[in-house]
Amino acid sequence: MSGGAMQVNGVRIDDTFAEAFGMSALGLVVTADTPRWAMICARTMTGFGTSVIGCGAECGIDREMSPAETPDGRPGVRVLMFGFSPDALVPQLRNRVGQCVLTSPGSACFNGLESATKLGLASGPRFFGDGWQTAKKLGKRRFWRVPVMDGEFVIEDKCGVTTEAVGGGNLLVLGRDRAGLLETTEAAVAAIAKINDVITPFPGGIVRSGSKVGSKYKGAIASTNDAFCPVLKGAVKSDCDPDTIAVLEIVIDGLTSKSVADAMRAGLKAITDMGAAKGVSRVSAGNYGGKLGQHHYHLKDLVA
Amino acid sequence: MSTLTLTLRGALHHPVDLTSVTPNAFAGRSLYEIEQLSLGALRVCDVFAVSGTPGETVAISGSSSYLDYAGAGLDAGTLVFEGSVGNYAATAMKGGRLDIRGDAGAYLASRQSGGLVTVKGAAGDFAGGTRPGDRFGMVGGIVLVDGNVGERAGERMRRGTIITRGSFGAAAGSRMVGGTLWTEKGFGAGPGPMLRRGTLIGPAVERLLPTFSDCGVHDLNILKILNKYIAETLGALAPRPVPVLVRRYAGDLATLGKGEILLPA
Repeated sequence: MSGGAMQVNGVRIDDTFAEAFGMSALGLVVTADTPRWAMICARTMTGFGTSVIGCGAECGIDREMSPAETPDGRPGVRVLMFGFSPDALVPQLRNRVGQCVLTSPGSACFNGLESATKLGLASGPRFFGDGWQTAKKLGKRRFWRVPVMDGEFVIEDKCGVTTEAVGGGNLLVLGRDRAGLLETTEAAVAAIAKINDVITPFPGGIVRSGSKVGSKYKGAIASTNDAFCPVLKGAVKSDCDPDTIAVLEIVIDGLTSKSVADAMRAGLKAITDMGAAKGVSRVSAGNYGGKLGQHHYHLKDLVA
Repeated sequence: MSTLTLTLRGALHHPVDLTSVTPNAFAGRSLYEIEQLSLGALRVCDVFAVSGTPGETVAISGSSSYLDYAGAGLDAGTLVFEGSVGNYAATAMKGGRLDIRGDAGAYLASRQSGGLVTVKGAAGDFAGGTRPGDRFGMVGGIVLVDGNVGERAGERMRRGTIITRGSFGAAAGSRMVGGTLWTEKGFGAGPGPMLRRGTLIGPAVERLLPTFSDCGVHDLNILKILNKYIAETLGALAPRPVPVLVRRYAGDLATLGKGEILLPA
């Protein structure tokens, strides 16, 4: 065991930290006639939103919302979108809402983040109305009504955007048993899902292809994190243990630094609660030596 | 909460402009200074006896249809008229709350952009309507009238909501550009002449104009949003929710035609 590492329920917690970056983010509330269709809509519009590098935005579902919480009193889902800057989020917002929310049966789309800075949520989609769109301003909120084949698509005029968001909080979970490791990591993702204002944008919240910065190939800005590839542990300077056969990563984006820390704490607790019995041996975190990211989350501070 | 009370000294025989009677206009002034404030050619003390403490609420005791511009320019705080007021109440009101516990005259809420107006009695013609020389009538906020509203309510109204527990008179929503008129009892004859945009909601209409076209029965999500917004904003004062299944009449097709009259399905 390295100096400073701790052991909780048979799982080693490395004395290291996750390094995360400042990002911009917005929140949307999508509603529909049923919870099922609200979720279909949310899943569709957050699809292909795992990494800002290749997808343009990191997107995910924050939580389901009850009818009492939504502007139209219907079931809803709050989704979050993260990008490098508010400007970078504009085309993502227009395309994802225009192609995935506008098109979803019975859907409506509302602002889901109060902020002084706003982006035009309806700037593109409202023109689908071809001149028949109308707006209704109620209090300080303006709603556009766009005639569509199943009635009207209602979309709020603007949505809030924050530049205080954090992207790249992470946990690396190492294990001796792939099935048990996946089960434990899934439990961690489920625990993180209960924390508000965060998403885990990768498939099922889990990444199996963690990356390092740079590549031997020109044009590739990232490549496989060889130090955590168990099949290379005899060939490279490895961070894996002798008995490690798989490593899974959970990447967390949050609207605030606190929400990311809370999510990492919840994930870590879920992992240590399950303990080593399922084959998890160790939890680590990804960083770049602390020189690139503004936010550092030390695992030892997050162990309950 | 401190209240300043203005008590009408006697019956009025000519209009009095109350534009300067707002909680903010009185804030930080002594009672003497308030008494000396101008009401057009008069002073406050010529019309009212002043008592109490300046604060967030100003109460006006007495009733006269000569009390014009009640709550005009109100931007914060509460202004309560115990009786009826004259014309132009809530003109250019920006925020706060104006309670009129009697009737209101013509042009109630013209150019109102925010805040809440309640009227216990009836409201006159051109409620939320534009006045000669103005581009638009009401442009925001909420008006809630317990009684009936006169003719041509919402004339050139652009935004905001006027709700009556009674009915609207003839030609409600004439030349309306946007906003919402909502009645619990119904519309008089010919609502929406030259209606460009905006929504007229009610249980019945005396006679529809021929330039409104039946678009069928629809379950409109915007009505769920409207119901929820009004319930959250008005609380116990909120009217009964609009049924979301309505028959939609589009019009006025003699002009832009993007307005609508929504009647029970």
